[in-house]
Amino acid sequence: DRYLSGASHYIHSGMHHSCDTDDPPGLQEKTEFLLKDWVALYTQQNQQSTRDARNFGAFVQKMNTYGILKTDDLITRFFRQATHICTDVVYRMFAEPSLPINQAKNKIFQWIDAFVHLIAMLVRHSGEAGNPTTKINLLNKVLGIVLGTLIKDHEMRGVSFQQVGYHRFFMMLFMELCTADVILESLMHSIVSAFAYTYHLLNPSVAPGFCFAWLELISHRVFLGRILVQIPGQKGWPLYAQLLQDLFKYLAPFLRNTELGKPVQLLYKGTLRVLLVLLHDFPEFLCDYHFGFCDTIPPNCVQMRNIILSAFPRNMRLPDPFTPNLKVDMLSDSSNAPKVLSSYIMNIQPANFKKDLDSYLKARAPVTFLSELRGHLQVTSEPGTRYNMALMNALVMYVGTQAIALIRNKNFVPNTSNIAHSAHMDIFQNLAVDLDTEGRYLFLNAIANQLRYPNSHTHYFSCAVLHLFAEANSEAIQEQITRVLLERLIVNRPHPWGLLITFIELIKNPIYKFWDHDFVHCAPEITKLFESVARSCLAKSNV
Amino acid sequence: GVTPLGPTPLQKEHQMQFQMMEAAYYHLPQPMDTEKLQTYFHRAPVLTPSHYPQAQMPIYDTVEFYQRLSTETLFFVFYYMEGSKAQYLAAKALKKQSWRFHTKYMMWFQRHEEPKIINDDYEQGTYIYFDYEKWSQRKKEGFTFEYKYLEDKELN
Repeated sequence: DRYLSGASHYIHSGMHHSCDTDDPPGLQEKTEFLLKDWVALYTQQNQQSTRDARNFGAFVQKMNTYGILKTDDLITRFFRQATHICTDVVYRMFAEPSLPINQAKNKIFQWIDAFVHLIAMLVRHSGEAGNPTTKINLLNKVLGIVLGTLIKDHEMRGVSFQQVGYHRFFMMLFMELCTADVILESLMHSIVSAFAYTYHLLNPSVAPGFCFAWLELISHRVFLGRILVQIPGQKGWPLYAQLLQDLFKYLAPFLRNTELGKPVQLLYKGTLRVLLVLLHDFPEFLCDYHFGFCDTIPPNCVQMRNIILSAFPRNMRLPDPFTPNLKVDMLSDSSNAPKVLSSYIMNIQPANFKKDLDSYLKARAPVTFLSELRGHLQVTSEPGTRYNMALMNALVMYVGTQAIALIRNKNFVPNTSNIAHSAHMDIFQNLAVDLDTEGRYLFLNAIANQLRYPNSHTHYFSCAVLHLFAEANSEAIQEQITRVLLERLIVNRPHPWGLLITFIELIKNPIYKFWDHDFVHCAPEITKLFESVARSCLAKSNV
Repeated sequence: GVTPLGPTPLQKEHQMQFQMMEAAYYHLPQPMDTEKLQTYFHRAPVLTPSHYPQAQMPIYDTVEFYQRLSTETLFFVFYYMEGSKAQYLAAKALKKQSWRFHTKYMMWFQRHEEPKIINDDYEQGTYIYFDYEKWSQRKKEGFTFEYKYLEDKELN
């Protein structure tokens, strides 16, 4: 698991406690009294004074006198009561007809900010010096309680659910725990993991009424900075990749059907913005996790996927795709394999199929393996959802990487001729011929997803798709290859480098007789389109 | 077309999700929701004409820019934009212009002349100071500026 197991245990236990109603008599009143007291202290004086150990010490003393600190169970109950009080404040303030919205929010925020500050102080000071476990357990417990309360609130209130209080809570608590402080900084990895796991459990599929606040939380500049930069060893990267996956997964059914109501459009636009920030500031992150993202993003979201596939390591200089006589196989980068941080091989299921696949790649037999391929990939007979896309992507990637390894072992550099006549190319050619339009579309998309910056995968799959075009036994295959490449190029920038290279080669190199095909001239607007794309691609390269 | 695989009807689960999302759409998060509570300024976003500047220029975020502002503007930023980067930059610009902050009176002072007395604990002389209640600069003769009230943190 990507999350620390201890942490998730405490979060889940907190969530469990959020529904508990078996409080000892008087606890609710005690909590209310104490919280009110703390809010007053926090609001009247400034934060400096509550940060002051003496004031905080006095308050802890008071909590102690009320018996709150006697057991862990009571502390948990105190936090739960306090969370409920804050939630009540939210709905009470919004129910006041005479209160302008900003004033209502100000009142709400006074409570929540004070509560958050108390939590941060308790986390900071709990347990003995040098023992971070108590602090982190406490934090996880509180996050779990608030998370559980939110989910229940969301479920019970339905469309009258208000996100603002919870949004404030998570944001402010995170900011408080990010203040410059030696102890808190030493706990950064655990703190960020706790929030990341909480946000994962709170993803839009679970709480769609919280989706906009959720996107703000996961794209906040401080959160991004911490999770992607400040945790050493890129340990935050898989956590953040999971959160993006959650987002893509939620959006997928709406985007796939282009059911783009205004809320979906807004969330989509926000997602694109986050991706653009990542492309600009953390391209290596998008590079490393592109495979898993492409599994989740529906095939029709061309631009969204292009942003991810256009990412390339910052230290790399990409040659201009329009350079005449650019020799891709001569680029030194073309021999380096890209990092793929996704366990895609696990998606090749069932285990028997994987075994047969491996033995076919080794022996190039039996031929029945090829004829049975389609049956493995097809999962339903419903048009539009016939194929297991994740399996298709994994299969294509696996066969490709195996082919590269084999050719490299013979000390060759893959090119359009030495990739032919192999078990690997048998599989690709069989898929191109044997699948129906839908299957072939997914198959060609799986290949096109690997046409990125100069690396060994880009180079191999570029050769492979050109080979499939040249060797196609029907014009339908060639038309579909053209379609898959073209539809990724006629959208707005960015365009992946490998995609451009491949398309330019296809229309420029006479061996493909691209312009002789009927589909290029099937309708005047298509002809025009090709001419304009060709102008922009070829004009530059002829200079 | 836009759905190459053809549409598949949204499941009941997705329709419910859409309803919840639509409800949330009518009370979207606002910038103030995740900012520190402001005592004097509340964000109240309104649509302004497109020919009016929509975004701050990047140079507004530099100390050089703040040094070009009038002292009164700097005092305004200092007192009314608490806890912001702007406040920090204003304080920095004021310090560069030889203003010193008095932590007891919470006001900025500037020497009007060479102090009559200077020793290890205080200096005494005529000062200009900015009175934030009267909102104007005033002169004070024979004022003793005790160094223990001098805010002398290095602003990096």
